[in-house]
Amino acid sequence: MRRTLLSALDRGAPLIAALLLLLIWEAACRLLTVPSYLLPTPSAIVQSAFQVPLSSWLDHTWATLRVSLQGYALAVLIGIPLAVALANSRLLSRALYPQLVIIQSTPIVAVAPIIVVVLGAGDAPRVVITFLITFFPIVVSTVTGLLATPPAMMELSRSLGAGRLRAVRDIQLPFAVPYIFSALRISVTLAIIGAVVAEFVAAENGLGFFIAFSTSFFKVPQAFAALVVLVSLSLALFQLVALTQRLLFPWSLPKTEP
Amino acid sequence: MKVRALRSILFALGVSTLTAGAQAADKIRWLNDWLPAGDKAVIYLGVQEGLFKDAGIEVEIMTGRGSSDVVTKLGTGAGDMGSGGLSALMQAKAGAEVPVTAVMSIYTRQPDAVFVAEGAGIDDLKDLQDKTLATATFSASNVTWPLVLEANGMTPDAVKVLKVDPGAMGPMFATGRVDGTINWITKLPAFQALAKDAGKTVKVLPWSEYGFNGYGLSMFASDRLIEENPALVKKFVAVYKQALEMAVADPAKAGAALKAMVPDIDADIAAEEFAVSAQLIDTDIAKQDGLGAFEPELLKETWAWVAKAQNLPADALDPEDAVTRAFIPE
Repeated sequence: MRRTLLSALDRGAPLIAALLLLLIWEAACRLLTVPSYLLPTPSAIVQSAFQVPLSSWLDHTWATLRVSLQGYALAVLIGIPLAVALANSRLLSRALYPQLVIIQSTPIVAVAPIIVVVLGAGDAPRVVITFLITFFPIVVSTVTGLLATPPAMMELSRSLGAGRLRAVRDIQLPFAVPYIFSALRISVTLAIIGAVVAEFVAAENGLGFFIAFSTSFFKVPQAFAALVVLVSLSLALFQLVALTQRLLFPWSLPKTEP
Repeated sequence: MKVRALRSILFALGVSTLTAGAQAADKIRWLNDWLPAGDKAVIYLGVQEGLFKDAGIEVEIMTGRGSSDVVTKLGTGAGDMGSGGLSALMQAKAGAEVPVTAVMSIYTRQPDAVFVAEGAGIDDLKDLQDKTLATATFSASNVTWPLVLEANGMTPDAVKVLKVDPGAMGPMFATGRVDGTINWITKLPAFQALAKDAGKTVKVLPWSEYGFNGYGLSMFASDRLIEENPALVKKFVAVYKQALEMAVADPAKAGAALKAMVPDIDADIAAEEFAVSAQLIDTDIAKQDGLGAFEPELLKETWAWVAKAQNLPADALDPEDAVTRAFIPE
């Protein structure tokens, strides 16, 4: 009896903690009469969220989601093959790795306005900015995973006469799957960040744009509501990637889920 | 290899946007200088009332991030026409070859102002001595501010200025963390609404009352468009002027038009914002010279402030080169 209660408490702990935090937040704002333009109460945020028409939310959310997913897809499509090439060719890796590090070391936020000027209006500059922010972790993590293949396995496959392509497909890539998915999970949240950065620089809609727009009229609760939507979007995508791994590569999961 | 591939993609996309702009003869990609708000309502009114459509012009409205962003985007072909402060264009043209020209004036008075709280004992610029103001980090007002102080017999460091994000200025003002803010006067309704929550009333000290004269917001066109299709520019300017007059006569209608195209807008605040900017449009100067005109003397004065603020030699730019009067309707 006591055990079931404890285990229920254990399972509910995150939810209870979150609710408690919201309550403290609400109470603190009310007791200390913090004005809503400094820190709105959770109830004010919810209220302002409902004042914005649903069509408006859908419009902004879709704009951000569309750019994030396009940039992310581009990063996956370019990042993984590039990683395979880097892991299998010393020459390529020597030639390209420094350039990749340079791209990664460039603060994309600073380059974003230039990218917008070069690519003009439309989704293109936003997709490129998202791509630049997301693709590096994918490349690095995939290369690490590919190189983690035990050399003995590679030697064995070579001695059995397997071609290079087959060794990559049947030995290296399966070994890299856990690494690839950990990068895919990180990158999908980065994709949202990338889209928001791009929207701060140039956009007509999107959640990042909506936050800038809301604060320009000092509608802070509304900006917070947009932030909540952004975080939810990010979490949903994160879970979606995790689910994909669980469905397609259940063997690649660690023995105990953290 | 990747970098080069990326660069060629960037290039290809860049070229395709350029050519797309050149082909669409009767489409204007318009750039507002800032996020949608009441003071940007004219272009929306023109579209909503069908004025542009009747003239056979399709308008795509985009949002720039400041006047210099508009100048850059027009110069690089990311837009065709737009609005921005004339000072920003002059500053850009003084430093480099910038293929953008102002085709019509919109504000004949400078919009910059200091907002303070009513009853705080600040009634004049001089009362700001040793006070603290908040300003937007990238606001063009920041370079002119020390000169306005100097012109009024104060030292540039007489007033402490904090550079902050535009969205933070209102809250800082409302909570009394700063004594005032540096803003465009058009931001007054939004500030007034916020200050009311904090039990304050905003008092405005417009810089134009302290000797800061010149053309403010103006309409720009890319030189490429002017060269390729001057008739379209002329037509566009005429329609815009019509929308401008319509908006000045009926700010509520302008606010409603903006709301219809940007649903997140509060139509009442937008109407108030436009009513405030109408004070900068419908001035004695505009009445005397005609709406949209560029008079040589005021143009010279606009440039003189820019040159002083940027530490440029007075001959770094002939202010006449920043504008053309070819498209201003009679």
